[in-house]
Amino acid sequence: MQTSTIVPPSHPATGLARYWQYRDLVRNLVIKDLKVRYQGAALGFLWSLGNPLALILLYDFVFTHVFRSDLPHYILYLVVGVLHYNLFSQSVSQSCESLTSASGLIQKIYFPRILVPTASLLFTLALWIIAILILVVLYPFLGGIYHWGLLLYPLALGLYIAFIWGIVLTFSVLQVELRDLKHLVEIALMFGFWFTPIGYDINVLKPATREIIALNPLTQFMDLFHALLYAGTLPALSHVLIATGWTIATLTIGMVLFHRKARHLVEDL
Amino acid sequence: MPPAIIVEHVSKEFILRHNRAMGLKTRFLALFHQSKRERRERFLALDDISFTVEQGEALGLLGHNGSGKSTLLQIIAGILQPSAGRVIANGRVAPLIQLGVGFNPELTGYENIFLNASLYGFLNKDIKKRTKDIIEFSELGHFIDTPLKHYSSGMQMRLGFAVAVYLQPDILLADEILAVGDQAFQDKCLAKISEMRENGMSLVLVSHSQKQVETFCDYFVRLDHGIITEHGCFSNKSDSLIIAATESAT
Ligand SMILES: Nc1ncnc2c1ncn2[C@@H]1O[C@H](COP(=O)(O)OP(=O)(O)O)[C@@H](O)[C@H]1O
Ligand SMILES: [Mg+2]
Repeated sequence: MQTSTIVPPSHPATGLARYWQYRDLVRNLVIKDLKVRYQGAALGFLWSLGNPLALILLYDFVFTHVFRSDLPHYILYLVVGVLHYNLFSQSVSQSCESLTSASGLIQKIYFPRILVPTASLLFTLALWIIAILILVVLYPFLGGIYHWGLLLYPLALGLYIAFIWGIVLTFSVLQVELRDLKHLVEIALMFGFWFTPIGYDINVLKPATREIIALNPLTQFMDLFHALLYAGTLPALSHVLIATGWTIATLTIGMVLFHRKARHLVEDL
Repeated sequence: MPPAIIVEHVSKEFILRHNRAMGLKTRFLALFHQSKRERRERFLALDDISFTVEQGEALGLLGHNGSGKSTLLQIIAGILQPSAGRVIANGRVAPLIQLGVGFNPELTGYENIFLNASLYGFLNKDIKKRTKDIIEFSELGHFIDTPLKHYSSGMQMRLGFAVAVYLQPDILLADEILAVGDQAFQDKCLAKISEMRENGMSLVLVSHSQKQVETFCDYFVRLDHGIITEHGCFSNKSDSLIIAATESAT
């Protein structure tokens, strides 16, 4: 027997380094989902643009011809709202079943479980980036304003993604206990669209209704995106603070719940 | 050198959930119907198990179906948490509870190598260095670039086994994986495991076959209903004691 005292290079990492060690797993899982979804169709991902585009055309028709909207450059307002709402709704509904459908992996090998819903979120994000490219191209034609505030957009988006991540973690764990959660979530997301200022301006609402709509955390985020990408201004500090508060709340709940449940998750799958 | 695996007073209690409410409807009905309510029962799958596997040694786990072998292996692999006691593993553990975990039928064999190996915590750049050996061992040839759904089950098993062993784990946990596949495949796998054992790898082998355990392992532990009923060694190098605690009730 050899008498080496060197710690093996493969010594299991601890703490955050442990997650970092698995970064390529997340990457491979996301690439797998992209390949499986669009296999054979080289431009298949273009279809993922079809859905939001059709939706935007529909709402544009409804809100400019059926109900009149007084917003200038209305279609830009709409595009910004629909795209960002889609990121939320697709991430959340997609990731509900992420843990339950990965039971085959989770029961056979150990890896940080949090990577499963996280990879699911990143997959949706990867598809969404393609959709946002349409906006980048159309931006000047729709009346978008180039201003220094646009540089803050990545921060606003990062905050939004962190907010979504907290919800994604929470729902993926709850789905294990409550297998029809996904159906409930999808119904809620349909209502959520109308309870968020996407097709309308919150200021045209009656004060009482406006207060209800303001309770929706997405309203705060929409305000950030509309300010930066539509109005060409900086968002009000109060909205930034409320959105940050919501993000801290969902992330805390998601992380605490996940860490409490993750260890025994495998027994309930 | 520290031992490869130390299992200290490990117990595992499962909660069996009869009539488990999976959806909202059943949960709602359970409020009114006693019969639809979930019943929970505790079940002790492992009861105070202790042993040590020194580096480079091989332990065979014997026992009939349901005796707790897989549960024990899953605890050593970190998949399950023990209800009591603890497990210390020194080195990189590669559980082989199933060959080719995470394999996706739509992806090619080559792509699946990366998917499977990254589940073991490997970075793509490190996997890349091993792909040549993996493809060679799996004897897939040009099939490596076709989707896995066109593989025979034997081809999938060869690939799964090749990935696991060419990741060069310090500790291999094999759960009856050698019970599948044809004789040629089994022989090849066993020869590879022997070769890796000579290079210092530790092994825990779960097997139905007393004979297989005898040829491959230095020691064995026999489980029955979650307790160690028998243990012993095959080779005559009895310089290290592997069974600590737990009286054997043979
Ligand atoms: N997740 C689980 N929940 C409840 N009981 C389980 C679970 N996993 C295993 N068991 C029970 O634990 C016992 C031991 O199972 P196992 O370790 O798979 O046995 P073996 O591999 O020796 O055949 C069995 O009775 C099995 O039903
Ligand atoms: Mg078993």
